[in-house]
Order: sequence, then structure tokens, then C-alpha cells
Amino acid sequence: MSGRSVFVHDPGLEAYGFGGEHPFNPLRVRMAIELCEGLGLMEGYSFLAPKPATDDDLMTVHSLSYIRSVQKAGHDEAPLSELLQYCIGTQDNPVFSKMHEACALVVGGTIEACRLVMGGEAEHALCVSGGLHHALRSKASGFCVYNDAGAAIARLKEEHPGIRIAYVDTDAHHGDGVQWMFYDDPDVLTFSMHESGRYLFPGTGGVEEKGRNGGVGYSLNVPLQPFTQDASFIECFEETLPEALRRFGPDLILSQNGCDAHALDPLTHLSTTTRVYEHVPRRIHELAHELCGGRWVAVGGGGYDIWRVVPRAWAALWATVSHQELPETMPGAWLAKWGRQSPVALPDLTRDIAANYPPIGRAAQVEERNRKTIAEFKRKVLPLLA
Amino acid sequence: MLLVRDSMVREVLTVSPETTAAEALTLCREKRIRHLPVLEGGRMVGLISDRDLRASTPALGDANRAAALDKIRVGDEMAREISTADPDDPIEQAAMAMHERKIGCLPVVEGEDLVGILTTSDVMAALVRLVGAHEPGSRLEIAFPDRPGSLADVAGIVRDQGVNIVSVLSAPGEYDGGSGSVAVIRLATINPTGVVRSLEGAGFPVLWPPSTPGGPGQGL
Ligand SMILES: [Zn+2]
Ligand SMILES: [Zn+2]
Repeated sequence: MSGRSVFVHDPGLEAYGFGGEHPFNPLRVRMAIELCEGLGLMEGYSFLAPKPATDDDLMTVHSLSYIRSVQKAGHDEAPLSELLQYCIGTQDNPVFSKMHEACALVVGGTIEACRLVMGGEAEHALCVSGGLHHALRSKASGFCVYNDAGAAIARLKEEHPGIRIAYVDTDAHHGDGVQWMFYDDPDVLTFSMHESGRYLFPGTGGVEEKGRNGGVGYSLNVPLQPFTQDASFIECFEETLPEALRRFGPDLILSQNGCDAHALDPLTHLSTTTRVYEHVPRRIHELAHELCGGRWVAVGGGGYDIWRVVPRAWAALWATVSHQELPETMPGAWLAKWGRQSPVALPDLTRDIAANYPPIGRAAQVEERNRKTIAEFKRKVLPLLA
Repeated sequence: MLLVRDSMVREVLTVSPETTAAEALTLCREKRIRHLPVLEGGRMVGLISDRDLRASTPALGDANRAAALDKIRVGDEMAREISTADPDDPIEQAAMAMHERKIGCLPVVEGEDLVGILTTSDVMAALVRLVGAHEPGSRLEIAFPDRPGSLADVAGIVRDQGVNIVSVLSAPGEYDGGSGSVAVIRLATINPTGVVRSLEGAGFPVLWPPSTPGGPGQGL
């Protein structure tokens, strides 16, 4: 076991959620945390509470007028017509009480995790509440109000002039918000592997989106076919990310670990299993040690099967971040507690059983199309990275 | 927003009938363009493309090429019967003209004056705007019968779900042997599941996203 790992969390972070039947339910974070505890993965570790991001932190990537509107929204002080200009008060991003405070704490969590790692106090750090990658400069989008990763990257750049940061996003949706924030910045490599935007939100993330001006070659996108399964997902990941990171040479890796590419996720059409959610962190961990002295910050992201997928995916993530073995069986007390509330039967193993996810009928075609995407990526984009 | 004048390029490079093939080709290469309107006394008299010029000169490597390029005049090779567009034409009309006549560009003429040029790539850019592909959204393909009010019913269902529509395109006769239309709707939401459920409940087949990997209309 090498350096120290830190789990950044505070119950206040669980106030980020939109209430009612909204798919972004903060119980997902509660269940993940309790699963880590139930599996014994928090023994010897405690949670480090972050401070909320300041207006200055937020203004690195958001406009002041947007921040003011979010502040007013959460205290019932702004008319809906004003909020709708910023896509707040919509079906996706409804107003909730004290939403600014909750969102600013999420940003504070990711900033804190990055500072700990860059300052050397931690080798790796995790904040599962982070990963709100769709938020735009003056616009809430796709359940994301403030862009925590964007603000954390911008702050790191200010505090460590010349730093090179690799942002690696394996959420099923394109990491558009972060990509656009650093689209012409050659010191920030954004890599997003996601379901093709041909049908899925937000619609962007084609191979040809590769950066602008001085940043050409520093925005990388690997769009996958709907119904991509584990083997093809992992093949695409291995064929693109390690080489890109080696060429770029980061000082820190920030990974967004959304787990909505799972077959059970209700919002996307990718068909992976927990195998991907062990493979991805394990490899990012290895690459962080190979390339940047282990400096790795992981955040959460999407994931809308909050009962069967999110807790297990993020417990596996914490196990990797903290250099621990993931136990095989789910803790009985956790199953008993959450089983009572869950509308679906909960798995009793931490890993999916491959036999339950047989190859889909068109697996060969999906794999073939993904290989074409990789070939295009290698031909057109990778060579731009010096 | 979707007129020729909104998509055309206003700075048009032109040549005269006396321009040599060598000069015209250099211009095409340096400015990365394929078509040059030909003006005489301020009036457009023809159109020349880099392809026409190449076709009429000896191939690269031919010893006679340089001499021929200097000798041939644009006026000898240009097309004189030219399709043009009016700045107030709808963009789809210009696109149809380009498609049907298999041409890559339309000079835009207002009265006697050449005011712009419209190429296939300008039309493509207009298409991207038209489908709202630059706004975050989810894409649904929906089949609906060709009768008055059915698209309004679809829109009503989307409205009842509280979801904003980014764009709508509909192609008539594309479904069920021509008896139905297909609408492509971009919704400003990451979560179209409620809309999909309501549409299917109301009898509008959703072709994408399919509920299973083998579902209908799955073009990948
Ligand atoms: Zn390590
Ligand atoms: Zn997602």
C-alpha cells in the first residue's frame, strides 16, 4: 500500500437533489457511502468535509448573473421566467430549496479533493457527489447546476501555473460542459467516452470535436454504439486512453466516474456491467502512478439505477482509490435496510454475474462499428497530440 | 433565419473571362474554394469550377501543362447557363435545386447584382442549425399518421410532460408503406422516458430509442 487516500464527503452534499420522482436522487450517494462502510472499506478512514465553493470559485467558469439567479431561485426570490433563461425550473433542473448552497458545496468538494492531491496531503481522493459535467457557463443542463470539475480545474490552473490536467470522463453521456470550458486550452486534456450523441443527450461528442485554436487535439471523444457491452467498451477504452494520456503527460488526472453506462440504467442504451466499473478505475489508477506520481482525483457523475448499480459501482471505485480489495458479498445489514425501500430485488454480490448479461444479438455489428470509431480516432485525432 | 441570405457567403471572389486557367486555379487553391463566378462589366456572365479547369488542361506531370494553363482563358471553359438563387429563397428550395441539378454551388443574384454565393457546405451548416444539433438534447423518432392534427397531438403530449422542444423535422410517407410520417424531435431533456411512455400510450410508435437492442427502426 502506498500513499494516503481521502474520501471527501459531508452529509450536506446529500442536499443536492431535485426531490420527488426526479431520477437524480441523493439517496444514491447515501447508499454508496453506507455500502463502503458496510463492506468494511472505511475502516481506518474518515470522511473529510469540504467547505462550500465561494462566488470567486464559481466565477472561474460561470457568469455572475447565472450564479445570482441560482442563489435567488433557492430562496424563492426570482420569477420563473428569469430562471428559465438559465434552464432552471425545467423538468430536468427544477428549483429546490437552497439549491445554490447545495450546489456550491459539491463544487467545494471537488475543489477540496483536487487541492489535497495537488498539495501532497493525499495521493488519491474521491468525492462521489461531484461529476456534474453538463453544467454550462450560464446554463443548468442535464441535472447539473454548477460544473464542479470545471471550477476545480480552473482553480488548479490558477494555483499551479503551467499545470497540465487530464480530465477523463466515462459517464454514458458526453462530458460536454467540461469540454466546452477548456475547448481551446492545450493544458487541459478532456477525454470523454460515451454513448453516441446521435440519439442520446446532449447530442455532442463526435470524434471530430477535437478542440479549437491552440487547443486543437486536446479534446478527445470516443462515441460508442448503443448497446455496447463490456468487452467492446473495455477494448475501446484500452485502445484510446492510455496512449492519449502518455502523449499528453498530465500532472494530475481527474476522472468522472458516472455509472450510467450499465445495462440496467434507465436513461441510456449502453449495456455494460460492474466489470467496467472495476476496470476503468483500476487502469486510471495504474496510469496515474505511471504518469503523474499517482495524483488522481475521482468524482461520481450520472447513474440512475440507484439501487442496484450506483452503490456497487462507487464502492468498487473507493476500493481502488484506497488500495483495498473489494469483498465479494454484499453486507447483510445494508441489504436488509435498503431492500425494504427498493422497488427492485437487490443483488447479493458486489460483482455482476456475466451469465446474466449474455451477448446481445447484434454484438458483432456493435463491436465492428466501435472499431471503426477507434480507427478514425487514431487516424484523425491522436496524431494531433504531440 | 432559414433564407438563402442567412446562409450565403457575402464576400465573393470573382474572375473575368480573360483570366487564365493558371490564375483561376491558383486562386481556388489559395482561398480553398471550388467555384468562381465570372464577371464582365459588373454583370455575371458565367461560372467556372476548379474541376472544369482541370478537366480542360493536360494532367499533372504533362510537359505541356504549364503552357496550356497560361493559354486557356476562363471565358473558353466557363458554364454560361447558370442556376442562381435569390437571397429571399427558402434554403430548402436552394438545397433542392442543388441536389436535383447535381451542382455544388449557387451564385446569389439580386436584380442584376451578384450579392453572394451558396455552396453545399453552407447548406449543411444551415441543416445543423435547423435540426438544433448545437443545443443539448435527446433525439426521438416518432411515427404518426398523415392526417390533420396528429403532429399537434404529439406536441401536446410533449407539452404535458413539461419538456421543451428544441426542433422538429418531419418526413412524410416514411413509415408503414407510406401511410405514415416520421418526425424527428429534439427534446431539451436528458430524460425523455416520460415522453416516450406517454407517446406510446397514446398510440404513437417511438422508433428510437427502442426498448430492446432488437427494437424497431434500429439503424444504430
Ligand atoms: Zn495508488
Ligand atoms: Zn450521464
